Amino acid sequence: MATTEVAVKTGAVSVQNVVKVYQRDSQQIKVLDGLSLDVPQGEFLALMGPSGSGKTTLLNLIAGIDRATSGSVSVAGTNLTPLSEGELAKWRSQNVGFIFQFYNLIPVLNAVENVELPLLLSHLSKKERRERALTALRIVGLADRSKHYPRQLSGGQEQRVAIARAIVTDPAVLVADEPTGDLDSKSAEEILELMQTFNKEFGKTIVMVTHDPRAAAVAHTQRHLEKGVLTA
Amino acid sequence: MKFAPLVLKHLRKNWIRTLSTIMAMAVCIFLFCTLHTVVDAIEFGLHSGNAGRLVTRHYVSMVFTLPLTYKQRVAAVPGVENTVIQCWFGGVYRDPKNFFANFAVEPEPFLQVFPEFILPPEQKEKWLNDVRGAIVGRKLAQRFGWRVGDVVPLESTIPPYRIGHPFEMVIDGIYDTDERKYPGTDLNSLYFHYKYLYEAIKGRSYAGIGWLTVKIANPQDAGKISKAIDAEFENSDTPTKTETEQAFLAGFVAMAGNLALLLNGIGLAVAFTILLVTANTMSIAVRERQQEIAVLKTLGFSSVLVMSLIISEALLIGIAGGLLGLLLSKGLLGVLPNVPVLGDIVGTYPNFGLSPQTAGLGMGFALLLGLAAGFFPAMTGYRSRIAEALRQI
Repeated sequence: MATTEVAVKTGAVSVQNVVKVYQRDSQQIKVLDGLSLDVPQGEFLALMGPSGSGKTTLLNLIAGIDRATSGSVSVAGTNLTPLSEGELAKWRSQNVGFIFQFYNLIPVLNAVENVELPLLLSHLSKKERRERALTALRIVGLADRSKHYPRQLSGGQEQRVAIARAIVTDPAVLVADEPTGDLDSKSAEEILELMQTFNKEFGKTIVMVTHDPRAAAVAHTQRHLEKGVLTA
Repeated sequence: MKFAPLVLKHLRKNWIRTLSTIMAMAVCIFLFCTLHTVVDAIEFGLHSGNAGRLVTRHYVSMVFTLPLTYKQRVAAVPGVENTVIQCWFGGVYRDPKNFFANFAVEPEPFLQVFPEFILPPEQKEKWLNDVRGAIVGRKLAQRFGWRVGDVVPLESTIPPYRIGHPFEMVIDGIYDTDERKYPGTDLNSLYFHYKYLYEAIKGRSYAGIGWLTVKIANPQDAGKISKAIDAEFENSDTPTKTETEQAFLAGFVAMAGNLALLLNGIGLAVAFTILLVTANTMSIAVRERQQEIAVLKTLGFSSVLVMSLIISEALLIGIAGGLLGLLLSKGLLGVLPNVPVLGDIVGTYPNFGLSPQTAGLGMGFALLLGLAAGFFPAMTGYRSRIAEALRQI
């Protein structure tokens, strides 16, 4: 318990004895089996493992977009277990940035509007929202593409817009699910460099799921999952 | 308001689908408002009769006339204040397309029994003393550009009233009404002297009584007086049927009831079909965006907010379709009275056009349709689980 409390105080991630069971028809599938994981603040953690090992499920629990069947998950100073759906949504908007494998930009919105999207949930004025979104785009090196729509951007550029969207609310934790999985090696390198920058210069705690050993090598720590338990 | 661009951009994304949904909604509201107006006009006509007036006609049908002596006998029934002979003349003005109602009446009792027909005193005086004179409603005069003093030829379509040439009538007066005191008064008819008809066909045929309009002292005695009048002629060759003016009008347009039912049925069927089409379109649009919805939720958009955004899209389609439907309906209802034949039918109804109430009802209906169409897709968005939706990416 002491570990958990310290983790909560320092704003990192604490996963304790988490079990996650999915119901498929009459079958129960245990994806995570009593898993515990502590991620200190400022850590860059790579989660690796074969398909179906439970990496993405663990990431979803940390990001607050899924709930554990049992056990507790605390992130950025908040125990997520007792939160209602609405409270969890509000918490997500303020504390976590999510980077997807396939970028998941909204196709009808241009780059700056996509980045601005999470800020619509804040009390910022239109002007402040736009300024922050442009700043985030500038940080990822895409200020000159702010009016471009996702279809007008390359995969690497789309992922950089997605990263700008993830950091625009200045969350404590960034979670990334195979962020380089859909990119060529050059773009993947650029994305990993960016993530390193956010980790080193802005002190963001990053939890990244990856299959790519080169991506995992960028992280401070690598943990391996197999059949719902951490093996290394 | 800050979410408005997101909603509008989604609608614009697949503009052909959005436009076709709006058009479908517009057709629905157009039909709803147009049919509602027509049904309203018909019902208004049915209820515009005066409770203080009875109508006595031949028991079998209005086609058969009553003997002239019936007027005195009806007038003698206790409770009867006044009686007036009326005949449907069925006159055509130059062309059958120029349809309007025209009647032969006894001018003096007619103006007493029907106080809603208001004439300037000098015109009234002139008409009462001019056997070939006629009075026309303001709207009818406007329709044909008639002025006092004009001569109007009318040829009847009813065989006993055909004399080989048109009846020539001089317009002695143009009647109007007090809309507040007598709402729904018909201003599209022509009335001329019964005596002119009687004299013109004398020797060739016989002009009986089409029907008698009977003014009674107390509307509450309508039932009793009706029975007394009919009892007077019960065992004669020409029995009568007496009823209130409202019931008479209802009988006159007996088909109107079925017509209203038919029109309402068509309207409801169309509305229900459009509801299904719109709901299906919205569902497809939402299904296509399951992953996007999951992304929005991941970013912190609550389920309620996602649901509101989807409903807003449906409501915007409803509003746009509703407004377009109202415009189309207003346009058609404005043009309808000028359309040959059809215009003559609807033109006989007073104040024909899209009323603010019907427009309000149409808009309300459009919003309701939008809401109903958007509700289930919105619920899908509300219920969708982020992790499950993201797994499908």
